[in-house]
Amino acid sequence: MFGTPLNRRKWLQQSACGFGSLAASAMLNDQAVFASNQVLHHRAHAKRIIFLFMQGGVSQVDSFDYKPILAKRHGDKLPFDDARQLAKTGKRTEHHLMQSPWQFRQYGSCGQWVSDLFPETAQHVDDLCMIHGMHTEGVAHGPATLFLHCGATNFIRPSMGSWVYYGLGAENENLPGFVSIAPSIGNGGPRNYGSAFLPPQFQGTRVGSLTAPQLSIDNLGRSDLPRQTQMQQVDFVNRLNRQQLDRRAISDEELEATIASHELAWRMQQFAPEVLDLERESAHTLQAYGIDDPKTRAYGQRCLLARRLCEAGVRFIQVTHGDNSANPAWDQHSNIPKHADHAAAVDKPIAALLSDLKQRGLLDETIVWWGSEFGRTPYSQENGTGRDHNPRGFTVWLAGGGFKSGFRHGETDEFGFQSINGRVHMHDLHATLLHQLGLDHKRLVFEHAGRQFRLTDIHGQVIHDVVS
Amino acid sequence: MARPKSCLGIGGEPNEFDVDQVKKVIETTNRSDMHKKRANKAFLCSFEPWCYGGRYFLLNCFLAMTFLATPVRSQELRNAQTLVVAEQDSADFFEQHIRPALIEHCYACHAIDTEANGGLVLDSPGGWQAGGESGPVIEAGKPEGSRLLLAMTYQDPDLQMPPDGKLPQEIITAFRDWIAAGAVDPRPEMEPSIAISGLPVDEAEKHWAYRPLLRPRTPAGETASTSLIDKFIDIELAAKGLQGAPPADSGVLIRRLYFDLLGLPPPPEVAALHQLDTETEYLHLVDSLLSSPHFGEHFARKWMDVVRYAESITLRGFVLPEAWRYRDYLVQAYAEDRPFDQMIREQIAGDLLEHSDLRERQMQLVATSFLAMGNNNLEQQDKLQLEMDYLDEQLETIGRAFLGQTLGCARCHDHKFDPIPMRDYYALAGTLRSAVALEHANLSMWIEQPLPLPALQEERFEALNVELQQISVRIDTLNKNQPNLDSKRNKQKYVAIDDLAGTVVDDSQAKLVGHWKDSSSVGPIVGTGYRHDEDSGKGAATATFEPLELAPGWYDVRLSYSAASNRASNVRVVVFSADGQNEVEVNQQQPPDIDGLWKSLGKYRFEDNSQAFVLVSNADSNGHVIVDAVQFLPLNGPSELQFVDTDNNADSEAVDVRAALADELKQLEKRKQQLEAQLEARPRFLTVVEKLPPVDVPIHIRGDVHNLGSPVPRGFLTALRMPEATTKISESSSGRRELAEWLSSEHNPLTARVYANRVWSWLMGQGLVSTPNNLGTTGASPSHPELLDWLAAELIDSGWSTKHLVRLIVCSEAYRRRLLNNSAAEQIDPGNQLYWKGQSRRLSPEAMRDAMLQISGELDMTFGGSLIRAGTKADYDYQHATTRRSIYHPVFRNSLPELFEAFDFADPSVSIGSRSRSTVATQPLSLLNHPWVAARAKSMVGRIRSGDHDPTSQELINSIFEACYARLPSDDELLNCLEFLNASQTDEEVERLELLIHSLFAALDFRYLE
Repeated sequence: MFGTPLNRRKWLQQSACGFGSLAASAMLNDQAVFASNQVLHHRAHAKRIIFLFMQGGVSQVDSFDYKPILAKRHGDKLPFDDARQLAKTGKRTEHHLMQSPWQFRQYGSCGQWVSDLFPETAQHVDDLCMIHGMHTEGVAHGPATLFLHCGATNFIRPSMGSWVYYGLGAENENLPGFVSIAPSIGNGGPRNYGSAFLPPQFQGTRVGSLTAPQLSIDNLGRSDLPRQTQMQQVDFVNRLNRQQLDRRAISDEELEATIASHELAWRMQQFAPEVLDLERESAHTLQAYGIDDPKTRAYGQRCLLARRLCEAGVRFIQVTHGDNSANPAWDQHSNIPKHADHAAAVDKPIAALLSDLKQRGLLDETIVWWGSEFGRTPYSQENGTGRDHNPRGFTVWLAGGGFKSGFRHGETDEFGFQSINGRVHMHDLHATLLHQLGLDHKRLVFEHAGRQFRLTDIHGQVIHDVVS
Repeated sequence: MARPKSCLGIGGEPNEFDVDQVKKVIETTNRSDMHKKRANKAFLCSFEPWCYGGRYFLLNCFLAMTFLATPVRSQELRNAQTLVVAEQDSADFFEQHIRPALIEHCYACHAIDTEANGGLVLDSPGGWQAGGESGPVIEAGKPEGSRLLLAMTYQDPDLQMPPDGKLPQEIITAFRDWIAAGAVDPRPEMEPSIAISGLPVDEAEKHWAYRPLLRPRTPAGETASTSLIDKFIDIELAAKGLQGAPPADSGVLIRRLYFDLLGLPPPPEVAALHQLDTETEYLHLVDSLLSSPHFGEHFARKWMDVVRYAESITLRGFVLPEAWRYRDYLVQAYAEDRPFDQMIREQIAGDLLEHSDLRERQMQLVATSFLAMGNNNLEQQDKLQLEMDYLDEQLETIGRAFLGQTLGCARCHDHKFDPIPMRDYYALAGTLRSAVALEHANLSMWIEQPLPLPALQEERFEALNVELQQISVRIDTLNKNQPNLDSKRNKQKYVAIDDLAGTVVDDSQAKLVGHWKDSSSVGPIVGTGYRHDEDSGKGAATATFEPLELAPGWYDVRLSYSAASNRASNVRVVVFSADGQNEVEVNQQQPPDIDGLWKSLGKYRFEDNSQAFVLVSNADSNGHVIVDAVQFLPLNGPSELQFVDTDNNADSEAVDVRAALADELKQLEKRKQQLEAQLEARPRFLTVVEKLPPVDVPIHIRGDVHNLGSPVPRGFLTALRMPEATTKISESSSGRRELAEWLSSEHNPLTARVYANRVWSWLMGQGLVSTPNNLGTTGASPSHPELLDWLAAELIDSGWSTKHLVRLIVCSEAYRRRLLNNSAAEQIDPGNQLYWKGQSRRLSPEAMRDAMLQISGELDMTFGGSLIRAGTKADYDYQHATTRRSIYHPVFRNSLPELFEAFDFADPSVSIGSRSRSTVATQPLSLLNHPWVAARAKSMVGRIRSGDHDPTSQELINSIFEACYARLPSDDELLNCLEFLNASQTDEEVERLELLIHSLFAALDFRYLE
């Protein structure tokens, strides 16, 4: 392969393995540019994931994990292995049970209980797979958020989206394969969509932020230049590049790759804005996602964009509801009723996304994953009206992508504190998600610093019970 | 010393490798035990294939990374007729007939993924070759003796596979034929067997890097070059029948030298005038660049990659305000060619070294910031775990940076590849254990200490300090006397909220949970009355005081209550701030000490969106719990006495006394603030603090901080053969000083090799060992082992002079070669491992940025100092804006400049030996569309236009090319540029010339040196 001038078409073909990436060659050095894994380990049941990240920790006992005993024994003082106290003191401490401020009702033919926080999502319970026995690592937001995204509580692991992108490659070479919509800058920030030691082309591309309404990708064009002029400039640079390569009178794969990256950049500059343009949607759709209502607008836009990216072939799309503080959105330590505000912002958009995907036949090949970095305690914190973090038991739900629908897996104890049956560790969830994409979490490895790493560290088991 | 594990990890340690036991663990449905282990382990290294190998390997299988080919549909298979297996296509036969059947019928239970029933794995050749618990299953060439076939044919009622029904006869026949033909299985194994053979300590020297360093003899033979390096290079070239390319043109070499030694483009006048026709001229240029202070900046940045230099921490984005001093130390050290062995000693144990003058002392102390630069999880609640994680991070970095070893692998078990037993890891850990790096709290904090200063300044600060202490004592005394005055104050009882400073939340505005009774019996009272819990319903009542709005900043948070003897002496009050929550116990029997009104709960930081409230609880309290008000008093503003006397009946004399005291207090508080501000300005540095007596660290079984083995005496890597004097640690010493000596010893076979290889890689684009951070058995082999040893010997003999090595390397012919096409040579050495030609060099983002600023005339060449904007508490969304050299950009782990991110800047959280070299579309997008780049082009237009002379287009283009590429345009380029300029449309706002310069920044020759 060396010594032969490569034609650019070949480069462009190879570039399909990563967003605008061009595998230069292994000669560069030990951290050279790698192609993606690209080969499935087994038959895939899904092509992509949309992760609806509820940052801060939704309370399971106020949403999807109905525990009637909390109302009956409200105020009773009982000993619990509170994760925070346990880490600090190694001791079990006593806490007062606290009932949920919300009514629970049964929905669908599966009869799933859902609280009045999520009346719209509740209409879709027959499409959801509830995992009630989740547990994870990290008592504080920072470590737990990193663990959720990267499978480790420290800071140097690739994020799940980058593993997926690396594992599957891109469906659409004009778009990044991993997009994080409005990510939080807190609690690990870019690490949560970074590629760490995976090749840089697999890092997540940020679209928009939690503070700005604009959902755009950085540097996708210049607003101060007419399109015609930009095109002229791109042509000019492409010609210069050719002339400069010719002047060197050598064949150089890296330089060829750079030239091709310019061409890709230009194609992306033309293609991506269309995908990002929500104005192309009908008024009816905008309404369905709640974009006409200030309360639901922000998350509605993000969910609608997720659907568009999904159609355009992005592999991993994260849609964050959160903020940039150290104690993010759903983190109701002192005031659990505030959950209502957050639920009101996301419930309708989520329901619309599920309907939309289903109606377009995309739900079969797309996994929708809803969840937080951890859950919350069934007892009050400091006897106030809030709940503390709880990594020992919480609920996530999944839809589509071969997950069983109208299904419940696992359970927490009678109070909703600790998962006891059908326990699913975050590593297990990661393994199962990868499994549905046709990837074996034990074989999706990357060599770095003399060893091989994987998303699930040395742990994780595929939970076969939750997939059909 | 622990015995290294045997190659296959089987048989050596029966307990650890008991298959049944392991199976039991895996099959345990209640995984809580595993989970506990996991909780401890998850923070650890996260390991290596053989770590999971540990688990699966035990089941007699290999890890397979078999990427399955598209399965052939079984229908096709069933249609297969006669199956004749020919030698040449036995692999095809496997792919067509065996693998699809295995996938469809066997993998569900017999794959690594599916837990390998009976210990049998069929998804890799190693799996069936090793067999299952009942022994081998396939005997190649002998179908009848193979258990696999026995099971498939359902002849034995106790052994029938697959269990849900016998397979069609043609499949069974296919298997029989396949086994008979030798059972060829083309699937790749996961890892070559090297992955599981650890090198024992006493055989360490089987690996080249652990052998003692001896100066190799220079190869004989004639070379045109005077450089000895070329003798080593040329002999290898000759052996392959290759010849080195001639040197590049003078202009190319000048540009190469400037960027390689200074990280800056040559000034146009140098590029245009300077000719390197003679060797003397070349050497002269090299020497002048080596003596430039900018050499220090450029090489400091290279070392900063290796030491994970950063000025903030990922979690919460905390800024490390003093980290920059360490960067400036490196700039100075490289500029003055400080011996590298001395730099090692200073970075590891600068605080423990002897010193002769103040500047040396400052340098030594600041160098030790190296140990405190890690990106740790300060929120970790298990502080034992945090401390070991911190130590591990230090060891990992020291290992990679100085030794080229992956020490962290030995935290939970003996290193599986390299001769590093777990005991060595904990022996090394002991030498760092006494270096305290954190002060623990909910959020543990790093340590800063005052930097020693010239005597005069020291005296001034000391005087300020003494005065501060005196004033504090006086303030305390005055405050303690207040209660006497309060007995009178009590009479007037009510203090209006409007008369109080800061933000006051009255109990009437608090969120109350549980039973609270209104009262106004005992004063003084803030606002309207107070509430108490009637000393009942303990644990059921809370009051939350949350201000509606609070500007970000630091506050003194104070609680008001009316004291009396029936009050609780143990009221639990929790303050929720940006830094978490903090519980304070308040004794409400004691009158509040500030103005008789307030009890301070401490100083706290609040941010936009952060929690900001105070929660008073009656849980476990032993008397009446009172809630009256909470005050958030900003710390930056003027400190005033808040009490305003509104009591007309008060004794006038007492009022006078009180007024006088109040006045004195006011003055004192003011002075105190001034003093604190002045003391705050004193230089400090990031460091660790030596805390004796020394301790030995016990082995942490499986790396678990709560599962300790016996202590390991402090010491070093036992695999390295070194003089006894270098490995002794005295009883009374922590061993850190000795660690520094051991690392920097000329007898340490790793250190000099690792550093010489780095310097080579910094100049030549790749190391003689292409994995500069790993010279262990899993690292790459050296392309020129003798040259590497020779360079290491040169390094030591020159007194560890970096500049000496640099001079040697850049003066070699190998360095000076031109880019060349030679297809015959390409065939022989496509990767240019032998250095027969020059190679395109990619500029770092720092160099690209500096070059743009220099070309546009905006580069500010000031040295040193912190560039973090005052008041920056967290690095989130930091707006980088400076025209200083890139090295001075704050290295923020949560917000690097975009250009740095796009162009593979080193990850500042881990030691980086060589940066990624990605080629992605975000690079041209940021070059062409980022406003910062456009702004540089605009500035350059301004610069060009400012002269008197009105140049022609061609003159303009020539000078732009000289500035950007240190050369004139080719004819093609000139034509292209002229065309572009002339295609201008009149209504354009952005000048055409600006776009032309901008385009030159984006084109190949700007980013890739010849």
